[in-house]
Amino acid sequence: MASQLSLLHCQVVDEDLHLSLSELCRACGAEHEVVVQLVEHGVLQPQGAMPAAWTFSGPSLARARVALRLLRDLDLNLPGAALAVELLDEIARLQRELQMLGGGARNG
Amino acid sequence: MQFKDYYQTLGVARDASADDIKHAYRRLARKYHPDLNKEPEAEARFKDVGEAYEVLKDPERRAAYDDVGKRWQPGAEQPPPGWDSGYEFRGGDADFGGFGGEHSDFFEALFGRARAQAQRRAPPRAQDHHAKVQVELVDAYRGAQRSIRLQVPMLDAQGRIGLSERTLDVAIPAGVREGQHLRLAGQGAPGFDGAPPGDLYLEIVFRPDPRFRVDRRDVYLDLPVAPWEAALGATVDAPLPDGSVQLTVPPGSAQGRKLRLKGKGIPGKTPGDLYVVLQIAMPPAPDEAQRKAWAELARLHAFHPRADMGGR
Repeated sequence: MASQLSLLHCQVVDEDLHLSLSELCRACGAEHEVVVQLVEHGVLQPQGAMPAAWTFSGPSLARARVALRLLRDLDLNLPGAALAVELLDEIARLQRELQMLGGGARNG
Repeated sequence: MQFKDYYQTLGVARDASADDIKHAYRRLARKYHPDLNKEPEAEARFKDVGEAYEVLKDPERRAAYDDVGKRWQPGAEQPPPGWDSGYEFRGGDADFGGFGGEHSDFFEALFGRARAQAQRRAPPRAQDHHAKVQVELVDAYRGAQRSIRLQVPMLDAQGRIGLSERTLDVAIPAGVREGQHLRLAGQGAPGFDGAPPGDLYLEIVFRPDPRFRVDRRDVYLDLPVAPWEAALGATVDAPLPDGSVQLTVPPGSAQGRKLRLKGKGIPGKTPGDLYVVLQIAMPPAPDEAQRKAWAELARLHAFHPRADMGGR
């Protein structure tokens, strides 16, 4: 058996958690310029006027990581990745609507 | 060890051109990318496709692979003698990271273990790491404790990359949702020259439960009821992710009726709701007495379910 380790407590990355541009870049392993471009293409919508003052809500991290994976894995450019992320949002919204309509109309 | 047919994985002929291979790869990568395709097997297919492309896009690797393929006995579990020698790929520059990071045993036997090419040098600052952790839906209700084993690339004294394993016991708080991240401060890559270590992020994945569907904090349950329970009303037991509940089915309930159990979804500042969706289930083939009872029901009802379709 491995030695007894103390229990680690974690912080939930939710709407209440805010990340600076540097924190977000480090958390998703991306260069500043790429994240700034994600903002310019509307994938991420930080609070604050200037990049140095930007704060991103926790869920931005998951969103940024999806966009970065699409960029890398599918060899997309930024407008293409931004479009894909928007379409994924739309699919998620439609699936929710489908779910609201009742059990028979289920996807998957 | 199984021989992997990379041509079949990409759906191309053995004499396919480099362009054909690239086009097939791009199409399949889009089709199976785990962010775009939520089917459970998509990630495995995406990795297979990536591995096949990694081999077939490179003329030298492709030639080596073709050579092995020619000598491999159909149905053999063992590779042909000397099959993994003579190719100059060991410790090569196979891609690493993201969804495409892992290779099959077959690939590693043929081309060597992939090296973390992006991390050959010490990174300028400590990096944050990511891992996925699978939890049950009930864990989102009650919180849970998980031991997480991580393989962490470590630099040795000579600056070479090795993998070391470490185990973390993590308290997963109640209220987590699918796709949400948890941050463990200071548990990422070690810092160099006195820099603080990076953070570790865990991404929550729910183990699928065939009974429940989850939408953000709301949970849906399809609950079968007998036709007479739906018609007359009934008190029935319904499972919840963290227990069960007695539920009143109102008389005259239609198929698909949703009953909301307020606050019984995933807990949080604003807890989600649990929706029970009634599914009217037909009893198995009736015996003679039951058939008569159904016929009596039919006689007593002036009910035309297709009345607004202009037929009977």
